[in-house]
Amino acid sequence: MEQRETYLWRIFATGACFTLFGLGGLSLGLFVFPAMMLLPGGPVRRRARMRSLVQRALRLFVRISNGVRVISYEFRGSERLGRPGQLIIANHPSLLDVVFIVAFTPAPCCIVKSAMFRNPFTRRVVRAAGYISNSPTDEMIHGAAAALRSGDSLVMFPEGTRTRPGRPLQFHRGAASVAVHAAEVLTPVYVRCEPLLLPKFVPWYRVPPRRPHFTLEVGQDIDLAAYRGLPPPKASRLLNAWLQAHFTERLGTSGGYNAASGS
Amino acid sequence: MQTKDEILEQIKVSLAGLFELDPAQITLAARLNEDLEIDSIDAVDLLDGLRRQTGRKISAEDFRSVRTVGDLVEAIYKLVQA
Repeated sequence: MEQRETYLWRIFATGACFTLFGLGGLSLGLFVFPAMMLLPGGPVRRRARMRSLVQRALRLFVRISNGVRVISYEFRGSERLGRPGQLIIANHPSLLDVVFIVAFTPAPCCIVKSAMFRNPFTRRVVRAAGYISNSPTDEMIHGAAAALRSGDSLVMFPEGTRTRPGRPLQFHRGAASVAVHAAEVLTPVYVRCEPLLLPKFVPWYRVPPRRPHFTLEVGQDIDLAAYRGLPPPKASRLLNAWLQAHFTERLGTSGGYNAASGS
Repeated sequence: MQTKDEILEQIKVSLAGLFELDPAQITLAARLNEDLEIDSIDAVDLLDGLRRQTGRKISAEDFRSVRTVGDLVEAIYKLVQA
């Protein structure tokens, strides 16, 4: 059992990390991005610089969150992330999953909530980085396929939103469809967080009783050969069902966190 | 110039091929989502297929209000008329 001061410290530090995240996004958008627009080079180089900046910023954020003892983490196999045309798919137990994956993948493209294109804290950054909005569906699928074909690596969360605690994993077909259309390589990342931090429907200040520990594990590439010859609707249905079963098996039915350890 | 009947026949062929549907299910009144289980992701593949078949630029905007096979026939008819 941890001391009361440590617990209060974690509440304070968690709030501080949130604030840092918001202010960081805002200042990148307000100051750093306009300054970068003045640098020479076309939109492609500018986008690459922006993504690299986002990556460094998020890696720093992960280090700080780890340093102030809000979280601890281990990331296994991250050197296999960031290959050309690689679609990276992960389960989504916590808000921080995407932060980790982007922080440890060289300059990936991301699919982000369409709300992030409207949020004043994030919209300049996601535009400049050339990220893809999750709606409307047709633009998302075409944008994602185009990014992969151009040699980007791309991060997607097939659940579409954070896992509902205690519910089985529910994968939507978008990621599988993008995979059968355009992925050169399909690589899974299994994310576990114990106890759970920042799940859906829990306010940020209700921090878990222990310091949350994240384990991110890069799995073996998934062979797509069997899906290539089929009509895309069938291929994406089969692949999606396979992926959902595969992640469920790897993570256990609790979907990336251990319910018992969280209570 | 294609008639609506010809367009319907063409749609039957592509839907049956893409989604492994029985052509008899594909009537003008059939609802794409509820009756044929074609969701928004399938719609992307469907439109890509139609683009290849017709060789025309088809914007997803023209299909936002499409609910049934009949709506789809009308939308394509309008496009090939234009």
